[in-house]
Amino acid sequence: MNKWIFAFTMMLCLPSWLAYGKEYTLILKDHLFYPAEIKVPANKKLRLLIDNQDNTPEEFDSFDLNREKVLYPGRTSVIYIGPLSPGRYDFFGEFSPNTARGTVIATEDKNADN
Amino acid sequence: MRFLIISFSCLLLASMAHVAHADGMVVDKVYHPYVMPFEREVEWRLVSRQTDQGNVLAQRAGFGGAINDTMSLEGYMVGERDDNGDFGLASYEVELRWQLVEQGRLWADWGALFELEKQHTIDAYEATTGFLWEKEFGRTSLTMNAFLVYEWGADIDSEWETEFRLQYRYRYRAEFQPSIEVYSGEDFFGVGPGFIGLHRFSPKHQLKWEAGFISELSQSGKDHSFRLALEFEF
Repeated sequence: MNKWIFAFTMMLCLPSWLAYGKEYTLILKDHLFYPAEIKVPANKKLRLLIDNQDNTPEEFDSFDLNREKVLYPGRTSVIYIGPLSPGRYDFFGEFSPNTARGTVIATEDKNADN
Repeated sequence: MRFLIISFSCLLLASMAHVAHADGMVVDKVYHPYVMPFEREVEWRLVSRQTDQGNVLAQRAGFGGAINDTMSLEGYMVGERDDNGDFGLASYEVELRWQLVEQGRLWADWGALFELEKQHTIDAYEATTGFLWEKEFGRTSLTMNAFLVYEWGADIDSEWETEFRLQYRYRYRAEFQPSIEVYSGEDFFGVGPGFIGLHRFSPKHQLKWEAGFISELSQSGKDHSFRLALEFEF
């Protein structure tokens, strides 16, 4: 049994550098995300870099992406997402939910944004 | 199909961990390894355990919040009703949760938990430390807790114990995420269904709820636990 526990522990410790993906940059300005839609490749691990250019903090929230993250003003925050199945994944700013909205579109074609 | 395969693997893993030992009520809460800066919360938990000998009810009320980007601190008062129907303050507890890695950065997400509990009427203490672990599989999430517990004090025998908790949930929608939960401790191996959910009232106010019905499987007698937790975050 010990070897199974050891193998399971090793599996838990596998680091991310085994499968790292591209970076995608978003800007939060005047409580709006730019771009509001971003295409990404499906089935890859990705990094969203969000530059909050407002003077107030915002909270990135997405049930679809299973992520919550505080975006401090004047800073760039990193959100690790994926691998995503093809589809649309909505997100919004929790403090400005009516304006700060966006969508990540995961696609298997080669038209994903660079 | 993947849900069934992972569920079966979880049960197998939990049964391997059944060498774990812990006293008291093992069914409580499966902790997630995440901390949100700025977040404060009040929390109420209830566990009702029905056995052939009667019913034991435990309730706890807590208040706490994030103290920095990766740590949260929460204090609890715990009340218990014994077999005689007497309900009263049983213990006090302070709990520190520490998010060790950014969510999604590694293959799985890690956190740590540290708890210190003092019994109200007797000279007995309990210190708990352990790992919180979570991994996404598509729209499902597997969460596991492994705790090492040390009890000491003039009124009890000092001893080491271990506990294991597991929750495998399907993120169906924010308000309703069904799950399977497993709890393992001394003379206790329980499995049962549960669900969690949340409702957002305003940008900075939301209510989270969790419930589970856990049946003990390793003993022949009746042993069912119902757990309910409400967290109001602001």
